[in-house]
Amino acid sequence: MKKVITLTLPGELIFTRLAAQTAASVAALVCGECHPKDNNCEFINAFELAVSEAFTNSALHACQDELPPVTLTFIAERHQLTVTVRDTNEPFGIETPQPDIESYPEGGYGLLIIRKVMDTVTYRRDGDANIISMSKKL
Amino acid sequence: MIITETTQNGISVVTLNGTLDALSCPEFRANPAVGDPGQTVVLDLEKVDFIDSSGLGSIVGAARKKRQQECDLFLACMNDKVRKVFEITNAQKLFHIFDDTGAAVEFAAMQQEACK
Repeated sequence: MKKVITLTLPGELIFTRLAAQTAASVAALVCGECHPKDNNCEFINAFELAVSEAFTNSALHACQDELPPVTLTFIAERHQLTVTVRDTNEPFGIETPQPDIESYPEGGYGLLIIRKVMDTVTYRRDGDANIISMSKKL
Repeated sequence: MIITETTQNGISVVTLNGTLDALSCPEFRANPAVGDPGQTVVLDLEKVDFIDSSGLGSIVGAARKKRQQECDLFLACMNDKVRKVFEITNAQKLFHIFDDTGAAVEFAAMQQEACK
């Protein structure tokens, strides 16, 4: 049965860990329902990392005067978890080039990491909102 | 993030304990040994319970600045969670990575001596 969990946080960096740890906890719940005796750390760590990246992106691009909220929606299904991260910042694309590691870049790894740890990543603009959706199967 | 610093065999060993992300990486960059491009550092990552792209970027940036000054930044005691982030971004190829701090200090001291 599909279960939906929603969490809305202020779009500030200080809430990034709360968002990421919530994602890890929800992923652990999904793991626990499917494989009670097997705590799938890779699955849990993947959601912690992906949500940290997406939330940080939202917080860093928020208008500093307003700090619009960021909403996380978790859709837990048997053997699969999807999380969407919604903000009302300026539009952005997720088709960014892979950073040239030989030039020692300090940025540009976030979306690369999300793509590497998730099975499916999509972005859409819905009215004034950015919605990035990230899914992974157990 | 708790940052502690010791000196072993003339090499600064900086130990991180906690989360290295966008919120904490300014503190990491501001550490005197990390921020001084003229100082070789061994970074002990065993107690880093989480690192994301911001944390990774701050380590890569510190290494770049040190290498421009003929110094270096070595990584030691990576746990699996930290190692995964370096591997999926291919950043591990930029670093000498050691299983223990002692071996990293020994290597760093030898390299520093060779540069004199």
